Amino acid sequence: MTNPPTRSRVAVVAAGTVVALVVAIVCGLVIGPTSIGTWRIVGDMLAHVGIGHNTLTPLQSTIVWQYRAPRMVIGLLAGSMLAVAGGTYQGVFRNPLADPYLLGVASGAGLGATFAIIDISHGTGTPAWTPLLAFVGALGAVTVTWLIGGRSLRSNTATLILAGVAVASLLTSAQTFLQQQSSAGSIARVYIWLLGSLASAGWGTVWLVFPYVIVCIIICVGAGRALDVMSVGEDESRSLGVPVRRVRFIVIAASSLGTAAIVSAVGLVGFVGIIVPHIVRLLVGTSYRRILPISVIFGAAFLVFADTIARTVIAPSELPLGVVTALIGAPVFVIILSLRRPVAI
Amino acid sequence: MSSVEVKDLSVRAGSKVLVSKVTLSIDPGTWCTIIGPNGAGKTTLVETIAGLRRASHGTISILGQEIAAMNERQRALRVALVPQHPVVPSGMSVYDYVALGRVAHHGLFHSASARDRTVVESVLERLSLIEFRERDVATLSGGERQRMVLARALTQSTMVVVLDEPTTGLDLRHQMDLLELLKSEVHECGLTIIATLHDLTLAGQFADRLVLLDKGEVVLDGPAAQVIRSDELARRYGMTLRVVDVDGSDVVVPVRR
Repeated sequence: MTNPPTRSRVAVVAAGTVVALVVAIVCGLVIGPTSIGTWRIVGDMLAHVGIGHNTLTPLQSTIVWQYRAPRMVIGLLAGSMLAVAGGTYQGVFRNPLADPYLLGVASGAGLGATFAIIDISHGTGTPAWTPLLAFVGALGAVTVTWLIGGRSLRSNTATLILAGVAVASLLTSAQTFLQQQSSAGSIARVYIWLLGSLASAGWGTVWLVFPYVIVCIIICVGAGRALDVMSVGEDESRSLGVPVRRVRFIVIAASSLGTAAIVSAVGLVGFVGIIVPHIVRLLVGTSYRRILPISVIFGAAFLVFADTIARTVIAPSELPLGVVTALIGAPVFVIILSLRRPVAI
Repeated sequence: MSSVEVKDLSVRAGSKVLVSKVTLSIDPGTWCTIIGPNGAGKTTLVETIAGLRRASHGTISILGQEIAAMNERQRALRVALVPQHPVVPSGMSVYDYVALGRVAHHGLFHSASARDRTVVESVLERLSLIEFRERDVATLSGGERQRMVLARALTQSTMVVVLDEPTTGLDLRHQMDLLELLKSEVHECGLTIIATLHDLTLAGQFADRLVLLDKGEVVLDGPAAQVIRSDELARRYGMTLRVVDVDGSDVVVPVRR
């Protein structure tokens, strides 16, 4: 058995993650069907803050700042939120399989979106109501799960998880029924939404989800020390001075709210919430004070990279983002897993 | 003022009474061991004193303040717990584990202060754990692990420490080592110890005071030498016991039927 990672190792991983984030941001802005040089984009960026002058044509400026930039920013927000929510859930539930969709967020959002696409638009498109109904569905599902299983948190978290499974099954059945009643075209649109995409993200979407996501990320990262203490179990944590039930409620609420906001904006992007915290854990050890902040950065970089691939490899079409995150994440995770000893939650 | 004052305490689980009308007053610097057969309510009593269970009736005060009126942090600053089966989270270093005892001092949103670090270092040194400070807790032997859990409790710097069967799973030498270590902490720091122990010999040799619990009620309460020689003790365990003097120490020997 090895000793926990040293501070210098953690610092190297953190620095590497920041570099990856910078590279991902540059890729997100530079790579696309229209070739625009990196330095011209950097020059134009500086011109926006009053240094130098514009280096892009109006068309190039629109492509970079109205199409690629908001898409990249929503990717950063989504990756950060899903990764930190996954890490937080894994800590709260002390369960390696926990992900941000554990308590029914995905199925609730899925049902809301399906209802909007199939019933409200009568299958003719993806209406503007879709994000709102997805958000309401996601929060509604978590609320019902909490009302059923929340009381059991006094003794353990298993009942809450099972309540999440039951609620998710029920909502997924309702969604399947709705889909069965609709046309092939609308089913295709539902599937596209379910697989997640950043394609429709504009600055409006960014500003809509930004406050939720930032506040929720701060709360989750701030809970790192409490989650570290809670790794010794509920009774011992309480004897060490941690108000376990209050911490659980706050971090589950923050993770769920942030995830609901993201899911309503970009659909169901899978894999990030479960795989990113695990990769980070393998690299920096089991302390949530390290896992959560590094997951925020790594998740952001990971999703922007994945989106860059999703929108370029079969351009002008796009691959579903959820497919790309799984295709990249799974092999990377397997490689790291084979190189390092798995660590406990 | 007593360190720990338990007044008319009852604890129920549904309709089952686990602890019934227990009253105890434990002075500072006293080692009080709760003994009794399985199911007597020992663990329930110490967990309630540590604030992990709610009393159905009665009150518990630590250093003059009722624990029911305290939040988790206030409680952790007054009473520390060594559980019977501590959770040892693989991947955590010994230093980080022991430092968990300081969380109540610096809070969940602040880093450890220089004083917190000094306390942790000092306890690691006293309990001969300093060489293991960077080791993964999962790699320690049973004896080292139990010492580490005790170190975490001592790092809380409370005047009252509650231990639930702290010698579980340890061989004889490690049991003695751990209890000697604890005894020296009682002498040096004036700690009040409330422990449960199954081994009556160890209970008699280390405690100042023994409380015999049976079916949730206090049956005997007095100086260790007196309780250990009581006929009531054997009756409550449902067996024959002999107390033998070995070099001035009482040894409790069960006699085969």
